[in-house]
Amino acid sequence: MGSVLVQLEQTGLATWIRESGVLYAYPLILFLHTLGLSTLVGLNSAIDIRLLGFGASIPLQSLEKTFRVMWAGLALNAATGLLLFIADATRHISNPAFSVKLACVALAVVVLVRIRRQVFRKNGNGKLLAAASLTCWLVALSAGRLMAYINEFIY
Amino acid sequence: MTPAHLHLLLNHVPTIGFSLGLGLFVASLLAKSEDLKRASLVVFFLIALVAIPAYLTGNAANFMLQDEPAVSQDVVAAHQDAAMLALVPMEITGLLAWFALWRFRRWHLLALLVLSVLTIGLMARAATLGGEVRHPEILAEGTVASAPEWPRAAAAGAAFVLDNPWVWPISEIFHFVGLCLLFGIVLLVNLRMLGVVTGVALADVNRLLPWAMLGLVINVVTGMLFFLASPDQYTQNTTFAWKIGAMLLGGLSLLYPTMVNENSGMKPAAYAAITRAVGATSICLWVVVIFLGRFLPYFGSE
Repeated sequence: MGSVLVQLEQTGLATWIRESGVLYAYPLILFLHTLGLSTLVGLNSAIDIRLLGFGASIPLQSLEKTFRVMWAGLALNAATGLLLFIADATRHISNPAFSVKLACVALAVVVLVRIRRQVFRKNGNGKLLAAASLTCWLVALSAGRLMAYINEFIY
Repeated sequence: MTPAHLHLLLNHVPTIGFSLGLGLFVASLLAKSEDLKRASLVVFFLIALVAIPAYLTGNAANFMLQDEPAVSQDVVAAHQDAAMLALVPMEITGLLAWFALWRFRRWHLLALLVLSVLTIGLMARAATLGGEVRHPEILAEGTVASAPEWPRAAAAGAAFVLDNPWVWPISEIFHFVGLCLLFGIVLLVNLRMLGVVTGVALADVNRLLPWAMLGLVINVVTGMLFFLASPDQYTQNTTFAWKIGAMLLGGLSLLYPTMVNENSGMKPAAYAAITRAVGATSICLWVVVIFLGRFLPYFGSE
């Protein structure tokens, strides 16, 4: 496993992202990752806030269209996240904040799918799911931010 | 033009603008004019926005003057502390004015009156101390010597970040939380304005706008903490200047849904076209803000 990650890190693409220093390598990928997360987490938070009872006059059906936008944000972040990962694969894998972040993102996406199935389609109560969703995203964001600091601490 | 020029251009706006806003506000109460009241609220909000670059460019001006023997760094520090002490109630007043435009409550009147008078007093003091930076001839005996008795707001903010190593990372987390709140709600409102999201009245989607405002407040506060702790990193970076410019225009776009609706007397076609244009512009502005914020460490410094 470790050697695979080292090989991954030494591919031309990974080296280019990490070391080329050009603005359309690492900085651009990082920007797109931020754009994707603010789209996905932002719209998901808006839905959570609505499910918690604010803006109760907004029909849930009208928010269905935002799922397509959120999935686009998720796809963008899976792609840019993968690029950011291979650029520093061994560091990321040994960083506990990275595992926490990935687990929370996965959980948050599962919660979002359940929100759509149980609340949007079957009119179930969404308060608990909304609270779970906001918690997952908060921990994911925090862990993502702290990755840089924990990296500094380890190395 | 440098940010120092901009400071000279902007530094009278908060005092004069807020006095104008207060004058309009009092006149609207006396004349019982709803239009005048809304106009004064818009003035409060706009001036609170402009006060942000007025403050930030002050640090840029200070950077250029730091080696100038004729300029007393004590006077500059006293001016900066006074400016921060005035900026806080000014931003709160601007925020409250936005809420009063969004949905008016009677208690807003008294709160706005008290806050704006307090702000003007504190801002006038900041302006006087600012004048003394470059005009020692008006420096009254003991003005600056008495300044340390006032709360040293800017210095205290900087010390809070620099003395506690956890403040910066925690503020970064909050900066992202604020970003998600602001961008998510604004995106939803703008998608409705663009007609992508349908089946809901714009007025109903607008009920979520205070959450976007909360996100903006979180980001102005945490952003200001970064700036206080490391001003030169930002004032000496052109990407930061553009980011603040785009942010102010984005903030301005938050005024549109509180002021215009289908009953504003516009022709329906014109209203639809303008609303779509504002929605598209607003999304672009916030994407630009995120873009410039991300590129700031990599681009724009000497």
